[in-house]
Amino acid sequence: MRWSVFILATLVALAFDASLGTILRIGESQPRLVLCVVVFALLSAPRVHAMRIAFLAGLLTDLLAPVIRPDGTQLVVIGPWTLGFALGALAVVPLRSLLYHRNPISSAFATGVFAVLSAVVFVSVWVLRMLVLGDETPSWWPGTNAGEVVRQAKSALASGALAVPAIWVLERTRGVWGFSTAKRVIPAVSREMP
Amino acid sequence: MDPTRLYRFLRERLTGPRRDWTIAALALVLALLPARFLEAWTNDLSRIVSVPVVPIMHGGMALRDWIRPPREAFDPRAPEVIELEMSAERYRTLFEQSRLKTESLEREVGELKGIRGRITDPRVQLATASVVGVDPTRSGGLVRVNVGSRHGVHRDAPVIARGDVFAGVVAQEPGEFVSMVRPAARCSLAVRLYPADGATPDRAPAAYAGTVLKPADGGIWLGDLFASDIDVRVGDIARLADERLGDVSRGLRVGIVRRILPSEENPLVRRVEVEPIATLVGEPTVVVAILPPEGRP
Repeated sequence: MRWSVFILATLVALAFDASLGTILRIGESQPRLVLCVVVFALLSAPRVHAMRIAFLAGLLTDLLAPVIRPDGTQLVVIGPWTLGFALGALAVVPLRSLLYHRNPISSAFATGVFAVLSAVVFVSVWVLRMLVLGDETPSWWPGTNAGEVVRQAKSALASGALAVPAIWVLERTRGVWGFSTAKRVIPAVSREMP
Repeated sequence: MDPTRLYRFLRERLTGPRRDWTIAALALVLALLPARFLEAWTNDLSRIVSVPVVPIMHGGMALRDWIRPPREAFDPRAPEVIELEMSAERYRTLFEQSRLKTESLEREVGELKGIRGRITDPRVQLATASVVGVDPTRSGGLVRVNVGSRHGVHRDAPVIARGDVFAGVVAQEPGEFVSMVRPAARCSLAVRLYPADGATPDRAPAAYAGTVLKPADGGIWLGDLFASDIDVRVGDIARLADERLGDVSRGLRVGIVRRILPSEENPLVRRVEVEPIATLVGEPTVVVAILPPEGRP
Protein backbone atom coordinates (compact mmCIF):
# COMPACT_ATOMS: atom_id res chain seq x y z
CA MET A 1 0.00 0.00 0.00
CA ARG A 2 1.31 3.40 -0.93
CA TRP A 3 0.96 5.61 2.16
CA SER A 4 1.51 8.78 0.16
CA VAL A 5 -1.55 8.02 -1.94
CA PHE A 6 -3.60 7.33 1.17
CA ILE A 7 -2.52 10.57 2.87
CA LEU A 8 -3.20 12.55 -0.29
CA ALA A 9 -6.60 10.94 -0.74
CA THR A 10 -7.47 11.62 2.90
CA LEU A 11 -6.46 15.26 2.64
CA VAL A 12 -8.45 15.67 -0.57
CA ALA A 13 -11.44 14.01 1.05
CA LEU A 14 -11.18 16.28 4.09
CA ALA A 15 -10.95 19.29 1.80
CA PHE A 16 -13.98 18.01 -0.13
CA ASP A 17 -15.96 17.62 3.09
CA ALA A 18 -15.07 21.16 4.14
CA SER A 19 -15.99 22.76 0.83
CA LEU A 20 -17.80 21.05 -2.02
CA GLY A 21 -19.36 18.46 0.28
CA THR A 22 -21.62 21.10 1.79
CA ILE A 23 -23.85 20.99 -1.30
CA LEU A 24 -24.73 17.40 -0.32
CA ARG A 25 -25.96 18.53 3.08
CA ILE A 26 -29.55 17.66 3.88
CA GLY A 27 -30.71 19.62 6.89
CA GLU A 28 -27.92 19.27 9.43
CA SER A 29 -26.57 15.96 8.19
CA GLN A 30 -23.70 16.07 5.78
CA PRO A 31 -22.11 12.97 4.28
CA ARG A 32 -18.34 12.71 4.75
CA LEU A 33 -16.12 11.51 1.97
CA VAL A 34 -13.21 10.90 4.32
CA LEU A 35 -15.12 8.02 5.89
CA CYS A 36 -15.55 6.44 2.47
CA VAL A 37 -11.81 6.77 1.76
CA VAL A 38 -10.87 5.24 5.09
CA VAL A 39 -13.31 2.35 4.71
CA PHE A 40 -12.10 1.74 1.17
CA ALA A 41 -8.54 1.55 2.45
CA LEU A 42 -9.52 -0.63 5.40
CA LEU A 43 -11.28 -3.10 3.12
CA SER A 44 -8.44 -3.24 0.64
CA ALA A 45 -5.18 -2.79 2.55
CA PRO A 46 -3.41 -5.55 4.46
CA ARG A 47 -4.87 -6.15 7.92
CA VAL A 48 -1.64 -5.15 9.64
CA HIS A 49 -2.06 -1.63 8.30
CA ALA A 50 -5.70 -1.23 9.32
CA MET A 51 -5.17 0.44 12.66
CA ARG A 52 -2.50 2.73 11.33
CA ILE A 53 -4.81 3.79 8.53
CA ALA A 54 -7.51 4.61 11.05
CA PHE A 55 -5.15 6.43 13.42
CA LEU A 56 -3.67 8.52 10.64
CA ALA A 57 -7.01 9.47 9.12
CA GLY A 58 -8.45 10.22 12.57
CA LEU A 59 -5.45 12.35 13.45
CA LEU A 60 -5.81 14.40 10.26
CA THR A 61 -9.53 14.79 10.92
CA ASP A 62 -8.86 16.00 14.45
CA LEU A 63 -6.23 18.42 13.27
CA LEU A 64 -8.52 19.94 10.66
CA ALA A 65 -11.51 20.27 12.99
CA PRO A 66 -10.69 22.89 15.61
CA VAL A 67 -13.25 23.63 18.30
CA ILE A 68 -14.55 27.11 18.98
CA ARG A 69 -14.51 27.71 22.70
CA PRO A 70 -16.98 29.98 24.50
CA ASP A 71 -14.34 32.70 24.84
CA GLY A 72 -13.93 32.80 21.05
CA THR A 73 -10.55 31.09 20.87
CA GLN A 74 -10.00 27.87 18.97
CA LEU A 75 -8.64 24.59 20.26
CA VAL A 76 -7.50 21.50 18.43
CA VAL A 77 -8.03 18.38 20.49
CA ILE A 78 -6.24 15.32 19.21
CA GLY A 79 -8.01 12.11 20.06
CA PRO A 80 -11.79 12.08 19.61
CA TRP A 81 -11.79 11.18 15.93
CA THR A 82 -8.50 9.27 16.19
CA LEU A 83 -10.00 6.90 18.73
CA GLY A 84 -13.33 6.90 16.92
CA PHE A 85 -11.77 5.82 13.65
CA ALA A 86 -9.79 3.17 15.52
CA LEU A 87 -12.96 1.63 16.93
CA GLY A 88 -14.57 1.87 13.51
CA ALA A 89 -11.60 0.03 12.04
CA LEU A 90 -11.85 -2.67 14.70
CA ALA A 91 -15.43 -3.23 13.58
CA VAL A 92 -14.90 -3.00 9.84
CA VAL A 93 -11.79 -5.17 9.50
CA PRO A 94 -13.60 -8.36 10.64
CA LEU A 95 -16.31 -7.54 8.10
CA ARG A 96 -13.79 -8.03 5.30
CA SER A 97 -14.36 -11.76 5.41
CA LEU A 98 -18.14 -11.30 5.44
CA LEU A 99 -18.49 -8.66 2.76
CA TYR A 100 -17.59 -8.71 -0.86
CA HIS A 101 -15.53 -5.61 -0.40
CA ARG A 102 -15.39 -4.64 -4.07
CA ASN A 103 -19.12 -4.25 -4.10
CA PRO A 104 -20.12 -0.59 -3.48
CA ILE A 105 -23.28 -1.66 -1.64
CA SER A 106 -21.40 -3.74 0.91
CA SER A 107 -18.84 -0.96 1.20
CA ALA A 108 -21.66 1.46 1.90
CA PHE A 109 -22.85 -0.79 4.72
CA ALA A 110 -19.33 -0.93 6.12
CA THR A 111 -19.09 2.87 5.86
CA GLY A 112 -22.32 3.24 7.80
CA VAL A 113 -21.07 0.96 10.56
CA PHE A 114 -17.72 2.72 10.64
CA ALA A 115 -19.37 6.15 10.80
CA VAL A 116 -21.75 5.20 13.60
CA LEU A 117 -19.06 3.66 15.77
CA SER A 118 -16.58 6.46 15.21
CA ALA A 119 -19.29 9.01 16.04
CA VAL A 120 -20.13 7.13 19.23
CA VAL A 121 -16.52 7.28 20.34
CA PHE A 122 -16.22 10.91 19.29
CA VAL A 123 -19.20 11.93 21.43
CA SER A 124 -18.07 9.67 24.28
CA VAL A 125 -14.57 11.12 24.38
CA TRP A 126 -15.95 14.64 24.50
CA VAL A 127 -18.41 13.71 27.26
CA LEU A 128 -15.56 12.08 29.16
CA ARG A 129 -13.48 15.17 28.64
CA MET A 130 -16.27 17.31 30.03
CA LEU A 131 -16.61 15.06 33.04
CA VAL A 132 -12.88 14.88 33.73
CA LEU A 133 -11.94 18.48 33.04
CA GLY A 134 -15.18 20.14 34.08
CA ASP A 135 -14.82 23.42 32.26
CA GLU A 136 -14.31 22.01 28.77
CA THR A 137 -16.94 22.52 26.10
CA PRO A 138 -17.51 20.10 23.23
CA SER A 139 -17.42 20.96 19.57
CA TRP A 140 -21.21 20.92 19.38
CA TRP A 141 -21.57 23.55 22.11
CA PRO A 142 -24.12 25.09 22.71
CA GLY A 143 -26.06 22.06 21.40
CA THR A 144 -26.90 19.08 23.57
CA ASN A 145 -25.11 15.74 23.66
CA ALA A 146 -28.23 13.88 22.58
CA GLY A 147 -28.72 16.29 19.72
CA GLU A 148 -25.15 15.65 18.59
CA VAL A 149 -25.69 11.88 18.72
CA VAL A 150 -28.76 12.23 16.51
CA ARG A 151 -26.94 14.54 14.13
CA GLN A 152 -23.99 12.18 13.88
CA ALA A 153 -26.32 9.23 13.26
CA LYS A 154 -27.96 11.10 10.39
CA SER A 155 -24.55 12.00 9.05
CA ALA A 156 -23.54 8.32 9.25
CA LEU A 157 -26.55 7.34 7.16
CA ALA A 158 -25.73 10.04 4.63
CA SER A 159 -22.11 8.88 4.52
CA GLY A 160 -23.32 5.36 3.82
CA ALA A 161 -25.34 6.66 0.90
CA LEU A 162 -22.39 8.66 -0.40
CA ALA A 163 -20.16 5.61 -0.13
CA VAL A 164 -21.98 3.85 -2.99
CA PRO A 165 -20.73 6.19 -5.73
CA ALA A 166 -17.56 7.20 -3.87
CA ILE A 167 -16.24 3.68 -3.41
CA TRP A 168 -17.25 2.78 -6.96
CA VAL A 169 -15.02 5.66 -8.12
CA LEU A 170 -12.24 4.67 -5.71
CA GLU A 171 -12.37 1.12 -7.06
CA ARG A 172 -11.45 2.56 -10.47
CA THR A 173 -8.25 3.95 -8.89
CA ARG A 174 -7.28 0.70 -7.17
CA GLY A 175 -4.11 0.36 -9.22
CA VAL A 176 -2.74 3.67 -7.92
CA TRP A 177 -3.07 2.63 -4.30
CA GLY A 178 -0.61 -0.23 -4.61
CA PHE A 179 -2.61 -2.70 -2.55
CA SER A 180 -0.91 -6.07 -2.33
CA THR A 181 -2.49 -8.62 -4.65
CA ALA A 182 -0.19 -11.51 -3.75
CA LYS A 183 -1.98 -14.78 -3.14
CA ARG A 184 -0.89 -17.46 -0.77
CA VAL A 185 0.55 -20.36 -2.76
CA ILE A 186 0.52 -23.89 -1.37
CA PRO A 187 3.67 -25.54 -2.71
CA ALA A 188 2.31 -29.07 -2.51
CA VAL A 189 -0.73 -28.21 -4.57
CA SER A 190 1.30 -26.37 -7.17
CA ARG A 191 3.60 -29.34 -7.61
CA GLU A 192 0.63 -31.55 -8.38
CA MET A 193 -0.56 -29.30 -11.15
CA PRO A 194 0.23 -30.65 -14.64
CA MET B 1 18.90 8.68 28.09
CA ASP B 2 20.34 8.05 24.67
CA PRO B 3 17.66 8.82 22.07
CA THR B 4 19.04 6.26 19.67
CA ARG B 5 18.78 3.50 22.24
CA LEU B 6 15.25 4.62 23.18
CA TYR B 7 14.18 4.54 19.54
CA ARG B 8 15.72 1.11 19.06
CA PHE B 9 14.03 -0.11 22.24
CA LEU B 10 10.63 1.18 21.15
CA ARG B 11 11.07 -0.23 17.66
CA GLU B 12 11.90 -3.66 18.99
CA ARG B 13 9.30 -3.82 21.74
CA LEU B 14 6.39 -1.95 20.14
CA THR B 15 5.31 -4.12 17.25
CA GLY B 16 1.98 -5.43 16.05
CA PRO B 17 -1.04 -5.01 18.37
CA ARG B 18 1.10 -3.67 21.19
CA ARG B 19 2.03 -0.68 19.03
CA ASP B 20 -1.61 -0.08 18.11
CA TRP B 21 -2.72 -0.15 21.72
CA THR B 22 0.10 2.19 22.70
CA ILE B 23 -1.00 4.66 20.04
CA ALA B 24 -4.59 4.35 21.22
CA ALA B 25 -3.57 4.98 24.81
CA LEU B 26 -1.53 7.97 23.73
CA ALA B 27 -4.51 9.31 21.78
CA LEU B 28 -6.73 8.86 24.84
CA VAL B 29 -4.26 10.74 27.01
CA LEU B 30 -4.08 13.54 24.46
CA ALA B 31 -7.85 13.64 24.20
CA LEU B 32 -8.15 14.17 27.94
CA LEU B 33 -5.41 16.74 28.33
CA PRO B 34 -6.55 20.15 29.57
CA ALA B 35 -6.70 22.91 27.01
CA ARG B 36 -3.69 24.74 28.43
CA PHE B 37 -1.47 21.77 27.53
CA LEU B 38 -2.89 21.46 24.03
CA GLU B 39 -3.30 24.97 22.70
CA ALA B 40 0.45 25.57 22.85
CA TRP B 41 1.20 23.10 20.05
CA THR B 42 -1.96 21.54 18.55
CA ASN B 43 -3.13 24.78 16.99
CA ASP B 44 0.25 25.20 15.27
CA LEU B 45 0.19 21.59 14.12
CA SER B 46 -3.29 22.14 12.73
CA ARG B 47 -2.10 25.16 10.76
CA ILE B 48 0.77 23.16 9.29
CA VAL B 49 -1.51 20.32 8.23
CA SER B 50 -4.01 22.71 6.73
CA VAL B 51 -1.39 24.21 4.38
CA PRO B 52 -1.77 21.55 1.67
CA VAL B 53 -5.52 21.29 2.28
CA VAL B 54 -6.46 24.94 1.94
CA PRO B 55 -5.81 25.23 -1.84
CA ILE B 56 -7.97 22.17 -2.42
CA MET B 57 -10.66 23.63 -0.17
CA HIS B 58 -10.46 26.88 -2.08
CA GLY B 59 -11.02 25.06 -5.35
CA GLY B 60 -13.86 23.08 -3.79
CA MET B 61 -15.57 26.24 -2.56
CA ALA B 62 -15.25 27.85 -5.98
CA LEU B 63 -16.78 24.75 -7.53
CA ARG B 64 -19.54 24.75 -4.92
CA ASP B 65 -20.32 28.41 -5.63
CA TRP B 66 -20.41 27.61 -9.33
CA ILE B 67 -22.79 24.70 -8.80
CA ARG B 68 -24.95 26.46 -6.23
CA PRO B 69 -24.36 30.22 -6.34
CA PRO B 70 -24.69 31.93 -2.97
CA ARG B 71 -27.37 34.53 -2.58
CA GLU B 72 -24.74 37.24 -2.32
CA ALA B 73 -23.68 36.42 -5.89
CA PHE B 74 -27.07 37.52 -7.14
CA ASP B 75 -26.53 39.86 -10.07
CA PRO B 76 -29.45 42.28 -10.44
CA ARG B 77 -28.24 43.28 -13.91
CA ALA B 78 -28.30 39.78 -15.33
CA PRO B 79 -30.67 39.50 -18.33
CA GLU B 80 -32.70 36.72 -16.74
CA VAL B 81 -33.13 38.79 -13.58
CA ILE B 82 -34.29 41.78 -15.59
CA GLU B 83 -36.68 39.56 -17.53
CA LEU B 84 -38.05 38.15 -14.29
CA GLU B 85 -38.51 41.62 -12.82
CA MET B 86 -40.32 42.76 -15.96
CA SER B 87 -42.56 39.71 -15.82
CA ALA B 88 -43.31 40.36 -12.17
CA GLU B 89 -44.16 43.98 -12.97
CA ARG B 90 -46.38 42.91 -15.85
CA TYR B 91 -48.28 40.44 -13.75
CA ARG B 92 -48.57 42.96 -10.93
CA THR B 93 -50.16 45.38 -13.40
CA LEU B 94 -52.53 42.70 -14.67
CA PHE B 95 -53.46 41.83 -11.12
CA GLU B 96 -54.16 45.46 -10.30
CA GLN B 97 -56.18 45.79 -13.50
CA SER B 98 -58.23 42.75 -12.53
CA ARG B 99 -58.74 44.13 -9.05
CA LEU B 100 -60.01 47.44 -10.43
CA LYS B 101 -62.25 45.62 -12.88
CA THR B 102 -63.65 43.53 -10.05
CA GLU B 103 -64.31 46.64 -7.99
CA SER B 104 -66.02 48.27 -10.95
CA LEU B 105 -68.21 45.23 -11.56
CA GLU B 106 -69.12 44.99 -7.89
CA ARG B 107 -70.07 48.65 -7.93
CA GLU B 108 -72.20 48.14 -11.03
CA VAL B 109 -73.92 45.14 -9.50
CA GLY B 110 -74.59 47.18 -6.38
CA GLU B 111 -76.07 50.00 -8.43
CA LEU B 112 -78.22 47.67 -10.47
CA LYS B 113 -79.53 45.97 -7.34
CA GLY B 114 -80.26 49.34 -5.77
CA ILE B 115 -82.15 50.57 -8.81
CA ARG B 116 -83.95 47.30 -9.37
CA GLY B 117 -85.12 47.39 -5.80
CA ARG B 118 -86.95 50.65 -6.31
CA ILE B 119 -88.56 49.78 -9.66
CA THR B 120 -92.05 48.40 -9.42
CA ASP B 121 -92.58 47.91 -13.14
CA PRO B 122 -90.86 44.68 -14.22
CA ARG B 123 -90.89 45.80 -17.85
CA VAL B 124 -88.28 48.45 -17.16
CA GLN B 125 -84.86 47.36 -18.43
CA LEU B 126 -81.56 48.58 -17.06
CA ALA B 127 -78.47 49.08 -19.19
CA THR B 128 -75.07 49.78 -17.72
CA ALA B 129 -73.06 52.33 -19.64
CA SER B 130 -69.69 53.96 -19.43
CA VAL B 131 -69.14 57.64 -19.91
CA VAL B 132 -67.05 57.75 -23.06
CA GLY B 133 -66.92 61.45 -23.84
CA VAL B 134 -67.71 64.91 -22.55
CA ASP B 135 -68.19 68.25 -24.21
CA PRO B 136 -64.78 69.88 -24.04
CA THR B 137 -66.08 73.31 -25.04
CA ARG B 138 -68.25 73.94 -22.02
CA SER B 139 -68.70 72.82 -18.48
CA GLY B 140 -71.88 70.87 -17.90
CA GLY B 141 -72.32 70.13 -21.59
CA LEU B 142 -73.67 66.97 -23.18
CA VAL B 143 -72.07 63.70 -22.17
CA ARG B 144 -71.63 60.67 -24.40
CA VAL B 145 -72.37 57.17 -23.05
CA ASN B 146 -71.70 53.92 -24.86
CA VAL B 147 -75.22 52.55 -25.14
CA GLY B 148 -77.66 53.33 -27.92
CA SER B 149 -80.76 52.25 -29.70
CA ARG B 150 -79.34 48.77 -30.22
CA HIS B 151 -79.54 48.40 -26.44
CA GLY B 152 -83.08 49.78 -26.35
CA VAL B 153 -82.18 53.28 -25.19
CA HIS B 154 -84.74 55.91 -26.10
CA ARG B 155 -85.07 59.67 -25.89
CA ASP B 156 -85.68 61.07 -22.38
CA ALA B 157 -84.57 57.83 -20.74
CA PRO B 158 -83.40 58.66 -17.22
CA VAL B 159 -79.75 58.13 -16.43
CA ILE B 160 -78.94 57.07 -12.88
CA ALA B 161 -75.61 57.16 -11.06
CA ARG B 162 -74.50 55.58 -7.77
CA GLY B 163 -77.69 53.58 -7.54
CA ASP B 164 -80.08 56.38 -6.54
CA VAL B 165 -78.79 59.67 -7.93
CA PHE B 166 -80.48 61.20 -10.94
CA ALA B 167 -77.67 62.09 -13.35
CA GLY B 168 -79.50 63.23 -16.49
CA VAL B 169 -81.66 62.20 -19.40
CA VAL B 170 -80.94 60.99 -22.89
CA ALA B 171 -81.01 64.23 -24.81
CA GLN B 172 -82.10 63.27 -28.32
CA GLU B 173 -82.67 60.25 -30.47
CA PRO B 174 -79.79 57.94 -29.57
CA GLY B 175 -77.36 56.52 -32.05
CA GLU B 176 -76.90 52.85 -32.66
CA PHE B 177 -74.32 52.44 -29.95
CA VAL B 178 -73.86 55.89 -28.43
CA SER B 179 -76.25 58.28 -26.73
CA MET B 180 -75.96 61.90 -25.73
CA VAL B 181 -77.02 62.62 -22.18
CA ARG B 182 -78.07 65.97 -20.85
CA PRO B 183 -76.70 66.31 -17.33
CA ALA B 184 -79.24 66.77 -14.56
CA ALA B 185 -77.80 70.19 -13.77
CA ARG B 186 -79.01 71.36 -17.19
CA CYS B 187 -82.56 70.10 -16.68
CA SER B 188 -85.55 71.76 -15.05
CA LEU B 189 -86.72 69.33 -12.43
CA ALA B 190 -89.70 69.13 -10.13
CA VAL B 191 -88.45 68.02 -6.74
CA ARG B 192 -89.42 67.72 -3.14
CA LEU B 193 -87.08 68.64 -0.32
CA TYR B 194 -86.66 66.02 2.34
CA PRO B 195 -84.72 66.31 5.60
CA ALA B 196 -81.15 65.03 5.44
CA ASP B 197 -81.82 62.53 8.22
CA GLY B 198 -84.58 60.86 6.21
CA ALA B 199 -88.27 61.17 5.61
CA THR B 200 -90.84 60.23 8.18
CA PRO B 201 -92.54 57.04 6.98
CA ASP B 202 -96.08 58.03 7.92
CA ARG B 203 -95.82 61.43 6.30
CA ALA B 204 -97.13 61.79 2.75
CA PRO B 205 -94.71 63.12 0.08
CA ALA B 206 -97.04 66.04 -0.52
CA ALA B 207 -96.37 67.15 3.02
CA TYR B 208 -92.81 68.05 2.08
CA ALA B 209 -91.90 71.28 0.35
CA GLY B 210 -91.95 71.06 -3.43
CA THR B 211 -90.38 73.27 -6.03
CA VAL B 212 -89.15 73.33 -9.58
CA LEU B 213 -85.40 73.58 -9.87
CA LYS B 214 -84.11 75.60 -12.76
CA PRO B 215 -80.54 75.48 -13.98
CA ALA B 216 -78.47 78.44 -12.95
CA ASP B 217 -75.00 79.65 -13.57
CA GLY B 218 -72.27 77.67 -11.83
CA GLY B 219 -73.83 74.24 -12.31
CA ILE B 220 -76.44 74.66 -9.62
CA TRP B 221 -80.22 74.92 -9.49
CA LEU B 222 -82.41 77.63 -8.13
CA GLY B 223 -85.95 77.02 -7.02
CA ASP B 224 -88.68 79.17 -5.49
CA LEU B 225 -90.56 78.14 -2.40
CA PHE B 226 -93.87 79.85 -2.07
CA ALA B 227 -95.28 80.84 1.28
CA SER B 228 -95.40 77.71 3.26
CA ASP B 229 -95.23 76.68 6.81
CA ILE B 230 -93.09 73.71 5.87
CA ASP B 231 -89.66 74.01 7.33
CA VAL B 232 -86.77 73.83 4.86
CA ARG B 233 -83.16 73.72 6.01
CA VAL B 234 -79.73 73.83 4.49
CA GLY B 235 -78.59 70.27 3.85
CA ASP B 236 -82.03 68.98 2.89
CA ILE B 237 -82.06 66.47 0.09
CA ALA B 238 -83.86 67.28 -3.16
CA ARG B 239 -85.55 64.20 -4.58
CA LEU B 240 -87.24 63.94 -7.95
CA ALA B 241 -90.99 64.29 -8.13
CA ASP B 242 -91.25 64.91 -11.84
CA GLU B 243 -94.02 63.15 -13.71
CA ARG B 244 -92.25 63.68 -17.03
CA LEU B 245 -89.45 61.30 -16.11
CA GLY B 246 -91.63 58.35 -15.24
CA ASP B 247 -92.01 56.24 -12.16
CA VAL B 248 -88.47 54.98 -12.32
CA SER B 249 -87.04 58.37 -11.49
CA ARG B 250 -89.42 59.25 -8.72
CA GLY B 251 -87.61 59.69 -5.46
CA LEU B 252 -84.12 59.68 -6.89
CA ARG B 253 -81.73 62.03 -5.19
CA VAL B 254 -80.84 65.13 -7.19
CA GLY B 255 -79.04 67.59 -5.00
CA ILE B 256 -78.47 69.14 -1.61
CA VAL B 257 -79.84 72.48 -0.44
CA ARG B 258 -76.89 74.77 0.06
CA ARG B 259 -78.55 78.14 0.68
CA ILE B 260 -82.01 79.53 1.37
CA LEU B 261 -82.41 83.15 0.33
CA PRO B 262 -85.30 85.61 0.36
CA SER B 263 -86.66 86.44 -3.04
CA GLU B 264 -86.00 89.97 -4.22
CA GLU B 265 -89.18 90.14 -6.29
CA ASN B 266 -91.61 88.64 -3.84
CA PRO B 267 -91.17 88.82 -0.10
CA LEU B 268 -93.47 85.85 0.32
CA VAL B 269 -91.18 83.61 -1.64
CA ARG B 270 -87.94 81.97 -0.54
CA ARG B 271 -85.32 80.94 -3.04
CA VAL B 272 -83.33 77.74 -2.51
CA GLU B 273 -80.00 77.04 -4.05
CA VAL B 274 -79.39 73.33 -4.73
CA GLU B 275 -76.07 71.77 -5.58
CA PRO B 276 -76.02 68.55 -7.65
CA ILE B 277 -74.92 65.41 -5.81
CA ALA B 278 -73.28 63.84 -8.86
CA THR B 279 -72.02 65.10 -12.16
CA LEU B 280 -71.90 62.80 -15.14
CA VAL B 281 -68.33 63.83 -15.86
CA GLY B 282 -67.19 62.41 -12.56
CA GLU B 283 -68.96 59.06 -12.91
CA PRO B 284 -67.18 56.20 -14.70
CA THR B 285 -70.35 54.18 -15.16
CA VAL B 286 -74.04 54.98 -15.09
CA VAL B 287 -77.27 53.05 -15.54
CA VAL B 288 -79.80 53.95 -18.20
CA ALA B 289 -83.36 52.98 -17.39
CA ILE B 290 -85.14 51.80 -20.52
CA LEU B 291 -88.84 52.33 -20.12
CA PRO B 292 -91.51 50.34 -21.93
CA PRO B 293 -93.00 52.22 -24.91
CA GLU B 294 -96.28 52.90 -23.18
CA GLY B 295 -94.56 54.31 -20.11
CA ARG B 296 -92.26 56.67 -21.91
CA PRO B 297 -92.80 60.39 -21.34
